[in-house]
Amino acid sequence: MEMPKVTRRTFLKVSATTGAAAAAAPRLLNAMEHELGGKDFGPVTGAERKAIPINCHVCNIQDGAIAYVENDRVVKLEGNPEHVSTRGRLCAKGNAGMWYSYDPDRILYPLKRVGARGEGKWKRITWDEALTELAGKLDAALKEDPNTIMLKYGRNRSGGAVDRFMKTLGSATVVNHTSVCESSKKIGMEPTWGPDIETPDFANAKYVLNFGSNILEAAYFHNPLSQRVTEGRVDNHMKIVTFDVRLSNTAGFSDEWVPVHPGTDGAVALAMGHVILRDDLQDSEFIETWTNVTVKELKEHYKQFTPEWASKISGVPAETIERIATEFATTKPATLFTYRGPAKHLYGSYNERSCMMLPIMTGNVEKKGGYCLPRGMGWPQPSPEPGKPKKDSYLAHPTEYPLAGHKVSHLVPFWIADGKQKINVYFTYQDNPVYTNPGAMAVWGKLFKDEKLIPYLVSMSPFMGEETALADLILPDCPYLERWEPESMPNSLWPWLGIRQPVHKSLGESRENRIMMRDIIWKLDPDGKRGMKQFWNFKDGEDYMRHHFDNVPGLKEAGGLNFLKKHGVWPIYGKLNPKTGKVSDKTGREIKAEYGLFKKELSAADMAGTATDKNGVITKNGKAIGVKRNGKNYVGFPTGNRIINVRVDKWAEYGFNPMPTFKRIPWHEAMKDDELVMVTFKLNVMKQSRTAAVKWLAEIAHSNPMWIGTSTAAKLGIKTGDLVRVESKVGHLVTKAYVTEGIHPRTVAIPTGFGHWEYGRLATLKLKDKKSEASHGADDPDLNNVWWDDKGVHPNNIIPVVADPIGGSQGWYDTVVKVTKAGPNDKYGDSQGDWEKHYAAYKETMRYAYTGDLHRKMHPEMASWAGPGSVKHHEGGGH
Amino acid sequence: MGEYVWFHDVSWHASYAVYFFIIGILAGLSFMSYGSWITPALRPLREKAAYGSMVLLALGGMLLIADLSQPLRFFNVLNPAYLNFTSPLAWGSLNIVAFGVCSVLYILELRKAEDSARGKMLALVTALLALGLPVYTGYDLSVHQSRPVWNTPIMPVLFVALAVASGSAVGALLTGGNDAAQKVLREYMLWSTGAVGVILVSILGTTNYGGSAQELTFIIMTTGTMGMIFIGVGLLAGTAAPVALLLAAHVREQQTGLMLSAVLILVGSAALRYALLMGPQQLQTLY
Amino acid sequence: MSEELRVSPIETRGIAGKRRFAMVVDTRRCIGCMACQVACKAEYDTPLGVNRTWVPYKVVGKYPNVKRQFLPRLCNHCDDAPCVRNCPVDATFKVEDGGFILQRYERCIGCRSCMAACPYNARFMLPSHRTYTPITNVVDKCTFCFHRVSQNLVPACVQTCIGRSRVFGDINDPNSEVSYLVANNPTQVLRPEEGTKPHVFYIGADRNATEFGRDAYHKPEVMEPERSAFKRNFKI
Ligand SMILES: Nc1nc2c(c(=O)[nH]1)N[C@H]1C(S)=C(S)[C@@H](COP(=O)(O)OP(=O)(O)OC[C@H]3O[C@@H](n4cnc5c(=O)[nH]c(N)nc54)[C@H](O)[C@@H]3O)O[C@H]1N2
Ligand SMILES: Nc1nc2c(c(=O)[nH]1)N[C@H]1C(S)=C(S)[C@@H](COP(=O)(O)OP(=O)(O)OC[C@H]3O[C@@H](n4cnc5c(=O)[nH]c(N)nc54)[C@H](O)[C@@H]3O)O[C@H]1N2
Ligand code: SF4
Ligand code: SF4
Ligand code: SF4
Ligand code: SF4
Ligand code: SF4
Ligand SMILES: [Mo]
Repeated sequence: MEMPKVTRRTFLKVSATTGAAAAAAPRLLNAMEHELGGKDFGPVTGAERKAIPINCHVCNIQDGAIAYVENDRVVKLEGNPEHVSTRGRLCAKGNAGMWYSYDPDRILYPLKRVGARGEGKWKRITWDEALTELAGKLDAALKEDPNTIMLKYGRNRSGGAVDRFMKTLGSATVVNHTSVCESSKKIGMEPTWGPDIETPDFANAKYVLNFGSNILEAAYFHNPLSQRVTEGRVDNHMKIVTFDVRLSNTAGFSDEWVPVHPGTDGAVALAMGHVILRDDLQDSEFIETWTNVTVKELKEHYKQFTPEWASKISGVPAETIERIATEFATTKPATLFTYRGPAKHLYGSYNERSCMMLPIMTGNVEKKGGYCLPRGMGWPQPSPEPGKPKKDSYLAHPTEYPLAGHKVSHLVPFWIADGKQKINVYFTYQDNPVYTNPGAMAVWGKLFKDEKLIPYLVSMSPFMGEETALADLILPDCPYLERWEPESMPNSLWPWLGIRQPVHKSLGESRENRIMMRDIIWKLDPDGKRGMKQFWNFKDGEDYMRHHFDNVPGLKEAGGLNFLKKHGVWPIYGKLNPKTGKVSDKTGREIKAEYGLFKKELSAADMAGTATDKNGVITKNGKAIGVKRNGKNYVGFPTGNRIINVRVDKWAEYGFNPMPTFKRIPWHEAMKDDELVMVTFKLNVMKQSRTAAVKWLAEIAHSNPMWIGTSTAAKLGIKTGDLVRVESKVGHLVTKAYVTEGIHPRTVAIPTGFGHWEYGRLATLKLKDKKSEASHGADDPDLNNVWWDDKGVHPNNIIPVVADPIGGSQGWYDTVVKVTKAGPNDKYGDSQGDWEKHYAAYKETMRYAYTGDLHRKMHPEMASWAGPGSVKHHEGGGH
Repeated sequence: MGEYVWFHDVSWHASYAVYFFIIGILAGLSFMSYGSWITPALRPLREKAAYGSMVLLALGGMLLIADLSQPLRFFNVLNPAYLNFTSPLAWGSLNIVAFGVCSVLYILELRKAEDSARGKMLALVTALLALGLPVYTGYDLSVHQSRPVWNTPIMPVLFVALAVASGSAVGALLTGGNDAAQKVLREYMLWSTGAVGVILVSILGTTNYGGSAQELTFIIMTTGTMGMIFIGVGLLAGTAAPVALLLAAHVREQQTGLMLSAVLILVGSAALRYALLMGPQQLQTLY
Repeated sequence: MSEELRVSPIETRGIAGKRRFAMVVDTRRCIGCMACQVACKAEYDTPLGVNRTWVPYKVVGKYPNVKRQFLPRLCNHCDDAPCVRNCPVDATFKVEDGGFILQRYERCIGCRSCMAACPYNARFMLPSHRTYTPITNVVDKCTFCFHRVSQNLVPACVQTCIGRSRVFGDINDPNSEVSYLVANNPTQVLRPEEGTKPHVFYIGADRNATEFGRDAYHKPEVMEPERSAFKRNFKI
């Protein structure tokens, strides 16, 4: 049958709506492959949209992006094709970032609390009223002691502005969120080889060991690294083995998923090292040349870690350990990656070091396809710069945790309650401990509601997060699409500098953070007499950026900030090749990374005026700048002695084992048959506490039932969808069960990011509620289509604090729970934590600190250590 | 929850089944009205059936149009520049419009004169166009070759049988007390309902022996609530029971048995249309 | 046989001088990141409750040998598209140059026949609320990003695909990447038995994942609360 031809012949006949776009469309060039982005057109109007390069900050991976603007509204986000790491792509969250700006419940005006703390009653005030009130409080605090002004941040991409602000005030009480993040990983790595992270060269690797990182959904650096993982796996036929307690997307994608009992990765890694050294598969030359131990010492040390020993602890069969160890050691190049899985335990720092030993002992460091050092770039700070505060702060550098260079923020509420340090004014910036920390509302909610402990709470935030809801004063910051910020992240093998720039005028009366801080300082020191104003001489955010970027060598010649405003990133290594999805140079070939950074030789100029000690360490002006090996002067690794420290002597000073080791979590060892370990995890479309109000992401994932293994669930009589009661030593919650084959039978897992009780109407599913006085964003008619009615249950109330005595990190994955079917009085969503019990957990965990009574018991091998009294007082922090 | 899933709405909702039901009855009534020109026993039905079918047409038309997401664009269907003849809906719309026009002419003629030749002619044309209605609705389903059950070519025949059954059932209710008419209508009901039963059994049988999609559709249609509606109400109560009753009504108390069968047939054919429309759509909402 | 027998006179595959766009989805590379789904939502201001593309997944196997499989889905831009044949008003049509199956929104009467006709559930009715796009209450679907492709850009979902699992191009051009991939890898299309000639080709898709399986009916109960919430609350 002949189809009637009517109007279907050519696309020029496509009518009205699609037609507009079609009419404007030029005839396609035949046989030309399509471009991978860099431009955007409206599907209805057909008009080209304005492109503004930015840097994504929906999460903290910092991908280069482009915002497309139509009618002064960001309608599309895309990866910046000129960005060497991002290569034009964004993850699901990055694609949805405009909803930070257009959140109908966004706060756009300064607000003053009028009810009780947390009651939700607000009064809109002017900026001048807000600043005057705040300046009054700061003045009073400054008179008493600058350190009574505290600032705690979560994400801080201000490029130094936040620290400048606190230094200007003269306060050392600056706390971050890193101890709930990955700090024990950092503390495991830094003394060992310098940087706090590795860059695995997945694209060129043949074998990958992944310990507890969920690269394909989260981790640093989800988007750029996932691109390279798929490349390696499909194009380069690499094998990837993932150790995780549950089947993450990464585990599900890997050639092999090896389930481990929580907290035991270190044992498995040590046993693999044992196999490698036993069978003489190590790279002896690398070990002898580039580490501070000999092969003989290492072999001796690893003898104790047999696969049978590790198998008993971890549940991983000894044969599996043997096989994977051999495969890893004999397949070259190979690399390893870890993230929070091994690190977030009582002795997470030990776990991390045990894992990183594998690429080190096999000599895969800084090789193509291997385990590479991160590549980053810095930028100068505007001058003059304020000096260091006069006094140190206990909360910032607690004496019991001298090695925890990234602080121990999750114990801060208890220390404040214990009167360790007095606080008059507390600033919270991009931080939501009331939701994201262990104890959540039961701990931080309790602290923030206590006006004696926290007399004045100021939140700089565009969103009514759980912490902001408890504030006395809210200063409306701008979301990332309206801020100026410098950026650099080691998220590929090529270093880069980038910027964030406002895509349109900030909405309402919101002010970007650096301007807000400037205005606070200006209010305190209007005429500059107090010596504060000099550090804040900026017209606006762009002016501030000029100080960073107009004098960076290389970039300066390219145009400085103007170059970045146009391209978003520098340098531009080449062009994104639509045929390969990779970056090609002028000749059309893929750009090549530089490897072997530590083997760069020092030039004669570098060597001028240096001294070389007996260990080969080359120092200049008192600073180690390189190391002499085999007669050559290399830059080496960025550690104090310029080589890899398999033995970290500083740890021994505090009675910790300086060699790679493993400590079993004592309360896991004592677990009864009906007890399970509860872990939490991140999903690809959620970003901790901040994405629940992003509709496209919430639509994909909005509830978080507890994963439980099929066999365990069968024993407990639990089916998917059943209500379960989960009880820990500090509280209980009631949630739904999801029965799955993809989890270790002794583990249950609850994803984080759900179960909000604040963060606006979408996150709390109170869409029928009237807009609150705090919400000023434009309404979104699409929210009428919200179809889900389950917002999930947040687990943090029932997670007790645990602090790694070395790294200071929270032991998120150490919680022992009892799971039962819910009883008649249990309601979905119940979540109860008890301050007293959390307080007891805090006391308990400090017994593991080097000053505590359990420290020695946990370290029989360090019997010769003279005890805490033997330690000379070190200034906190370090790395 | 727990897994990322995506949900699809069914294409056609239950209101479409009501439309099928109404259009079936009105087609059946048109047959009866025409039948009255041939079978004198049905004479009392002629006007009633014609009017009834007009009223139902108005109702059905309104339903159909209201069910469109863009009701005002209904006229697009009649725009010759837009008409797409591979779509049964296009044919159906023309059929409905033509049927409507003929029905009006027929009723005008009935009001003007008794037993005119023109009346008979118009009755025939109207009935033929009426035949087109269940044919096109059946065709409307059977063109969807990816949907098990719908994709059987016998669908139009099934819908004609259903139309005759429900039309004669309504006829039977309208002619309460008239033995002669009822006798004829009993035959109609018996044979058409019997035919419905035979067709359904053969559809079900072949469906269960198809590939996994067919097999799953069979499971969906024979278990749970859908199974209750389809097998329980549609096949057993609405098809098997009236056939049995009608066979029995021959010998025993004609009147009540007949009326009861008529009611059962109507309920059953409504249930069947619902199940036939909704059942085969369920599978894809899971896929 | 020299003469090719073509069922539909508007088939564009393999015809000299004509383009035929196609997508290859390499499931070996799909990491289930959902970037494609969100990028497409943004590109079209697609309302909640409906999607032009979606990425369902399955967990298969028994502990500890368990895997996760993703199967990105979208309109197949069938060469022999039942949705086109079934539209009474020619609101759904095929663009001969490229093979796009598109909608004329201003003509569509919303009868949903095309939805019923599509074997892939690739079409949906737009609800009456949207953020800023005025087109509502008509059927919509993936356009293969016609407005981008005609500007020489890849579709939005391809552009952002982190795993580079989605590749787009002219399959009539023997030098294109899609031609290369289809020529050099075993591929399959969804529900080939429907004879629709889909132009989304899958590499490495497990047939058990692409066919209706028994578990399509015995769905993991995990979906049930969600599914009933959707049925209950999503009103167009
Ligand atoms: N989508 C998304 N991406 C993110 C973020 C986000 O919130 N969402 N946040 C960013 C931030 S701040 C961070 S720190 C990173 C974190 O990135 P990741 O560390 O990759 O992610 P997590 O979910 O914290 O934990 C990783 C995995 O550890 C597993 N696990 C738990 N206990 C153990 C154990 O004892 N051993 C092993 N081997 N595995 C275990 C969990 O099941 C989980 O799959 O992600 C970053 N990227
Ligand atoms: N159970 C469990 N808990 C966890 C984790 C886990 O895996 N499981 N992960 C942990 C990890 S890795 C981390 S890093 C922490 C993160 O913990 P946080 O740093 O506390 O959390 P975020 O959710 O990133 O954002 C904090 C707050 O920043 C504010 N905010 C958002 N955008 C902006 C902005 O543009 N400007 C300003 N001024 N404020 C803004 C919002 O109020 C938001 O609530 O959470 C930890 N908590
Ligand atoms: S991983 Fe996603 S959210 Fe995070 S910076 Fe990259 S694109 Fe943005
Ligand atoms: S996939 Fe469905 S909507 Fe797309 S062309 Fe084929 S039949 Fe039409
Ligand atoms: S809903 Fe619209 S596009 Fe689909 S068949 Fe009906 S008129 Fe055509
Ligand atoms: S081709 Fe375009 S319309 Fe189709 S799924 Fe991809 S982004 Fe959406
Ligand atoms: S963007 Fe690519 S890798 Fe991610 S889910 Fe979609 S198809 Fe898969
Ligand atoms: Mo983190």
